[in-house]
Amino acid sequence: MKQPEGKPEGKQEFFSSRWALIIATIGIAVGTGNIWRFSRVVAQNGGGSFLIPWVIFLLIWSVPLIIAEFAIGKSTRYGPVGAISKTAGNKFGWMGAFVVLVSTAIMFYYSVVTGWCLRYFFSAVSGGLFDTQQHFEYWQSFSSGYLPLLFHFISIALVSIVIYRGVTQGIEKVTRLLVPSLLIILLILFVRAITLPDAIEGIKYFFTPKLEIILDYKVWLNALTQNAWDTGAGWGLILTYATYMRQKEDISLNAALIGFGNNSVSIIAGITIFSTVFALSSVDAMQQISQSGPANTGLTFIYLPLLFAKLSTSSLVNGFFASIFFLALFFAATTSLLSMVELSTRTLIDFGLKRRKAIIIVAAAGFVFGIPSALNMNFFSNQDWVWGVGLILSGAFISFSIIKFGVNKFRTEIINGYGSDVKIGKWYNYVIGVLVPIQAVFLISWWLISSISWDPEWWNPFHAENLGTCLLQWGIAIFVFILLNKKIVDNTLRN
Amino acid sequence: MNITIIITAAFVLGLVWGGLVFFLIRALKYEKKKLMNGEE
Repeated sequence: MKQPEGKPEGKQEFFSSRWALIIATIGIAVGTGNIWRFSRVVAQNGGGSFLIPWVIFLLIWSVPLIIAEFAIGKSTRYGPVGAISKTAGNKFGWMGAFVVLVSTAIMFYYSVVTGWCLRYFFSAVSGGLFDTQQHFEYWQSFSSGYLPLLFHFISIALVSIVIYRGVTQGIEKVTRLLVPSLLIILLILFVRAITLPDAIEGIKYFFTPKLEIILDYKVWLNALTQNAWDTGAGWGLILTYATYMRQKEDISLNAALIGFGNNSVSIIAGITIFSTVFALSSVDAMQQISQSGPANTGLTFIYLPLLFAKLSTSSLVNGFFASIFFLALFFAATTSLLSMVELSTRTLIDFGLKRRKAIIIVAAAGFVFGIPSALNMNFFSNQDWVWGVGLILSGAFISFSIIKFGVNKFRTEIINGYGSDVKIGKWYNYVIGVLVPIQAVFLISWWLISSISWDPEWWNPFHAENLGTCLLQWGIAIFVFILLNKKIVDNTLRN
Repeated sequence: MNITIIITAAFVLGLVWGGLVFFLIRALKYEKKKLMNGEE
């Protein structure tokens, strides 16, 4: 029985320590989804009733998949294409290509989101954000103009410079600065929020369980979706960073730290938002937290600025808290965007390109293909829908590659192999071999079937969010990748 | 405060924050052990 045969280590760069690896990977997991999507989904799904399944899926979806990604990346030393080819067999390299496409397509519009956060940070610092009471109009005027394009360019350019500098001089140095800063800012906001009068009402709602809601299957599927989207498990991003972990590095303990660390941050952000909204809202607080707004931005870009203005009588204090909130969002988005750009760059490096050439191509493509999302909110929503659900398919492909390799062999020889501090028991075989595929099938089916119910023309591929557009875009991608499978795999493994 | 809220909060925070602290302590322990063994 052999391990998947990886590349010789040669000039490979490595994260300098366990902590550098953990901080960088926490940076992947903690993104804007922890801050704005988590609070909204908790509000829409009955507060504490949602948190119970959310914690359970952390254990049976996120952590097992993070372990899988660490193990595949560490053992093969390839990005997703080479890694899945080495693990599942060369016939399945197209699955790795799909994983790369999904994360790359997300990178195109996530750079736009990063730009929004940066723009709002500048608005808060300059005081411009508080010059108006009409935040919906403020947002509309910003998002319908050309400024998102400028900030999208700044975001992709900044991140590309970091990736060009490599793993230790780029990713490691920047995440060592941004991730702790993000956590400190979140803690400052957390302390301020929970000390507001009536904040306790928000905290009570956050932890209130209702039996009838817990028994609703939709709450469970939403909890699974939140874990799939906000931990970064199954995206191929952690797999890519794992190619830079040293051979003697542990897998399972590090994976647990990432999963639990990510969800801990979500709880801090959730309590902060609920406390703030319940303390300062003069209208129905729940309605405000639950609303999606355009591209799910309602709470963050439209409602929270209103609340920041009510925080105190001093505009300086209000401006300070609003500024650090949007700075935290920008840091969270940047550290996740870094990993998406690195994944695409690493894939091209595996194809035989030098890092410099690879990052120029990725940065140019990132900017050009992000333009439609920067200028058109419908296009943005379409991409968010198609590749958001596509991520679950990516997770299923990673799980499939382990099943194809042999779940028990994977656990005993790779996860529990050289460098492991903690040995994983047989439970892992059942979780990754049975539970993860079942969850993936349920989740994809549920989202696609739901999309039929919310769009009468569910088959029309030119609608923003329905079954037709998903099947068309996935279908084209998978068809092309299967057709070019041999070429893609040969080019990757030859180099 | 309602007892069910306290139980839910204890379950969620105990598992998530408690889990994080537990794994952090274990990781620190292993790193310390490696340092004492003269590993990098």
